[in-house]
Amino acid sequence: MKAKISALMDGELEEPELGQSLRALRDGGEALETWRRYHLISDAMRDTQVLSSGFSARFAERLALEPTVLAPASAPQPERKNHAWVAYSAAAGLAAVALVGSLTFQFFGPGDQQAATAPRPQLATTVSATVPMPGAVNDYLFAHQNYSSRGTLQGVAPYVRTVSDPARPR
Amino acid sequence: MKALAFLLCLLPGVALSQAQPQAQQSLDAAGWLKKIYQASQKLSYSGTFVYRQGERSESSRITRVVDGNLDMEKLEALDGVRREIVRRGDEVRCYLPDSKTVKVDLRSKHPSFPALVPAKNALLSDQYTVSKEETARIAGYDCQAIALKPKDDLRYGYKLWADMATGMLLKARILNENGEAVEEFTFTQLSIGGHIDREALKSSFAAQSRQWRVENAGVAPADTGRSGWSVSPAIPGFQKVIELKRLLRPSRRVSQIVYSDGLAAVSVFIEQLEPRQEPVREGLSTMGAVNIYTRQLGDHLVTVVGEAPAKTVRQIADTVQYHRP
Repeated sequence: MKAKISALMDGELEEPELGQSLRALRDGGEALETWRRYHLISDAMRDTQVLSSGFSARFAERLALEPTVLAPASAPQPERKNHAWVAYSAAAGLAAVALVGSLTFQFFGPGDQQAATAPRPQLATTVSATVPMPGAVNDYLFAHQNYSSRGTLQGVAPYVRTVSDPARPR
Repeated sequence: MKALAFLLCLLPGVALSQAQPQAQQSLDAAGWLKKIYQASQKLSYSGTFVYRQGERSESSRITRVVDGNLDMEKLEALDGVRREIVRRGDEVRCYLPDSKTVKVDLRSKHPSFPALVPAKNALLSDQYTVSKEETARIAGYDCQAIALKPKDDLRYGYKLWADMATGMLLKARILNENGEAVEEFTFTQLSIGGHIDREALKSSFAAQSRQWRVENAGVAPADTGRSGWSVSPAIPGFQKVIELKRLLRPSRRVSQIVYSDGLAAVSVFIEQLEPRQEPVREGLSTMGAVNIYTRQLGDHLVTVVGEAPAKTVRQIADTVQYHRP
């Protein structure tokens, strides 16, 4: 098994040994211990900074404590002002690896064409629980508009989207 | 014989009257872009246009005067929240009566945008296929349509309609990769040239706004690289246009780096988070053609804003790095 783990680390293992080794690693025990020891040796030889002992256990513990929002409908909605937005939310920090479902904060009315036709990228269902001030978005838009090439052709016309208020009832 | 002489007499006239449309017909797509660009630099006009995004649409009145040293423009929103934007030269003032605020900013002094400057049209054709399309009548003007189709899916497509006679842009549409419009500007009424009352260029809030709060962006050039930040957009054709420091709100100091492929522009904002500020929601927001991607990097906030597809904006955001200088 040790030889296989070594080969696995070097990326030299092929099926069926690859699958066997990965399963052995998943089951923990000697294989996993070997895997860890070999990495420690390799890190020491390369003079890489070694993580403190028990790092993975603490990491797993912290990760488990991260808030997970699974129901988009219950996520806090920002005020109805300033929301020309179909805002998608992606993962926060470490949770970014968990690209599973899609979470859409839909501020448009039902059946809105924009919402229906907008591309929906694959997104994580895990977000940090706070929603930032959507009002700040206008500040960015205004700042960007000054350097937008379309201003060259259309003058100040593209500014309409900067400070528009889509909340107005239709 | 008399009839022939009569016809000959007419000929020069016929030739003259045809010369104008023929000259325009012979303009190729690149020639049309040049014409549109030149029109945008020199024409005075006033009119009403509609901005459409999904099912949402809003009307605005626009007045522009170019006369000698004077280059002024005013935009007045006719729907929704009251606001006016007045540009005089490079200074842009945004009047927001509801919050009693005037935002003051400087428009880029950068020589317009490289790809739109006629001599550098080649830049644009690396990323877009430019073609001359149909003719159409818009707000009473006979227009020529020009399409700019992107050569990859990292930018949006554009369709522009310009007045045959002057090159004035009457309509502009931005299209996603499925050819669907993500937003559109269309003039519904327009008069080009003629007498335009200078009073129409002044903000109707000019007097009362003296009591309002003024938020000046305090734009200054910057070198973010020296402070340890690097952005390396691996997107073909996107080049750094400008780099500066500014205030986003009176208390929020940000760095702004602008990239452009000549048509689409993307701004990267980097700012330090307030100590003990609530965690930031990372992710993507979409508004018409504009996508915004926010991510936290250590104790800094990175916000990328641009009229480019979501994946482009995100890709640029993901390349932002900090190395201790």
